[in-house]
Amino acid sequence: MSQVSESGVVSTTPTNHLRNRIVSLFSGHGATGPLIGLIALCIFLSFATDSFFTLRNFLNILDQITVLGIMAVGMTFVIMIGGIDLAVGSVLALAMMVMGYLTNYAGIPLPASILISLVVAGMCGLASGVMITRFNVPAFIATLAMMSIARGLANMITDGQQIVGFPAWFNLSAIIRHGGFLTITVAIMLVVFLVAFLYQRYRAGGRSLYAIGGNAEVARLAGINVKKATIWVYVTASTLAGLAGVVMAARLDSVQPSSGFAYELDTIAAVVIGGTSLTGGSGGIGGTIIGVLIIGVLRNGLNLLGVSPFMQQVIIGLVIVLAVAAEALKKKQA
Amino acid sequence: MKKMIKTMLATAVATASLVPMTASAEVEKVGLAVANLQANFFNQIKQSVEAYGEEKGIEIITVDARGDSATQVSQVQDLLTQNIDALIYIPAGAAAATVPARLARAEGVPIINIDRNPAGAPGDTFITTDSVSSAYQVCKHIIEQAGGEGQMLMIHGQKGTTPEIERSEGCNNAIAEYDKVEVVEEQWSNMWSQDEGFQITQNLLQAHPDVSIIFAQADGLALGAAQAIKVSDMPQRIYVGGFDGDTAALEAIRDGVFDVTATQQTQLMGRLAVDSAIKLVNGEDVDAENRLDATLTTKENVEAFIAEHP
Repeated sequence: MSQVSESGVVSTTPTNHLRNRIVSLFSGHGATGPLIGLIALCIFLSFATDSFFTLRNFLNILDQITVLGIMAVGMTFVIMIGGIDLAVGSVLALAMMVMGYLTNYAGIPLPASILISLVVAGMCGLASGVMITRFNVPAFIATLAMMSIARGLANMITDGQQIVGFPAWFNLSAIIRHGGFLTITVAIMLVVFLVAFLYQRYRAGGRSLYAIGGNAEVARLAGINVKKATIWVYVTASTLAGLAGVVMAARLDSVQPSSGFAYELDTIAAVVIGGTSLTGGSGGIGGTIIGVLIIGVLRNGLNLLGVSPFMQQVIIGLVIVLAVAAEALKKKQA
Repeated sequence: MKKMIKTMLATAVATASLVPMTASAEVEKVGLAVANLQANFFNQIKQSVEAYGEEKGIEIITVDARGDSATQVSQVQDLLTQNIDALIYIPAGAAAATVPARLARAEGVPIINIDRNPAGAPGDTFITTDSVSSAYQVCKHIIEQAGGEGQMLMIHGQKGTTPEIERSEGCNNAIAEYDKVEVVEEQWSNMWSQDEGFQITQNLLQAHPDVSIIFAQADGLALGAAQAIKVSDMPQRIYVGGFDGDTAALEAIRDGVFDVTATQQTQLMGRLAVDSAIKLVNGEDVDAENRLDATLTTKENVEAFIAEHP
């Protein structure tokens, strides 16, 4: 107890106040464990391989996590309010197929197709949100249904075929590194990170998500429009999944309806590794960014180490267990 | 002048010391990007490449895309970061196969494609089975067994991939020779897997109970089809043909679970890929395409393939 009051006194001086702000900014919400893990992982890989600690490799990793990173932001909000969204992988595929079809078969300019595909993705989230809030379908079931529906629709658009070849600038946006390091697709991910982080941290709407996840009924009594907020969270998660689909299409210069298969599970894993609890009410974007980086660095590092593909699956599973166990242990101690 | 002589000398020494090195241009590291190790056919190739690489003193770095093309792009980036000398590349899925090839080409790394060759960016060499003629033989065999007539089902592989297109073409060539064979339905699978083969066949047998011939474009699918026939307890004899010569399928053919397959020379493919990598790194010419035969395999000749896979 005395320590708390002590630090309270010390923090009144401006420099310490600033330092505390910085410390709290980086600590995120229970994300210190994952952050230490990420740093340890990077140090280990830097010594274990020749090629890990190079600018080129870091740029590759950023490039490789764009799709996962964008989807994980939406999933963080969903899990924060105590929900789950199993449909994001399928919505990603649906959005990319809509975009590809409109551009290459309906003759609509690519930028307009992208906007329409994002709207379609958002509608999927709206449907899930309405099922959950108006018809009291559990989120797991509602989004499971949406997962199946969106995948089916994605396949129907071209009867299961892929669409290849878009205007050159589209693929180049994932390849050309402006200023030597920033592709447009990576920039999009960073902007999504920043906006989501600021919203969750400093806007009342963002803060209310914790309240909903903590106890929806109490949040409602406190004057938060829980139903509206829930619907918006699913719309956001779905729209971001659509955006991830557009980014993936740019990266691959093609779209296919089988894309994003099981990505919802990778996304949930990233969020959970980042310290957001599946029971809702805790965690945040800061932790998720670290979680996404851990998965990205781990996959990249295991490839660089030449670890066999089957062993990689085992290791990634172990990391998920470790991360969650460490977090649970910390909570128990605190 | 003195400086110039010095530089010339230095250059001469440098080139002299370089010459023996380039002459034996050691291939040290080869990347192997596999589409999906769950498929036995790819797994056999992987084992062959790794075993032969070890024999030749070459480090083989294997990555598995698990059927996902986005994952494969990342994995090929990681392979290139490790300065591989050559890339043995089995594209995952039909679309997006060109992106990893372009990445490797930009780094000047030679590409050896196996089984699938991206249309927009073909590899320096392409090793595959002559699927058209082999599928023709398989279909001809099952149609003959069924007496040259009857209702037929075709279970395709992953839509739009090179083997799916070629196996369909080969089988259709055989079907065209028989007026009394009618293809009542065709369906596509995603993973070429046994459970897909089982489900598809079970459903199709409900819709078309008089079917007597099934061509499944991979052994996994054929094994699933055979199981579905067994479960459905059909009164008539149904002849099933597969493709690939998977380890489990060869034993199944020996035990009479299904009738015929085309055994691909996976061990040879793996060795040929490594040899091509060495040649390409040394600047030697290789064939743009290597089409190997697959052997029609029935109960009569299966024992030899079980003992040693070609």
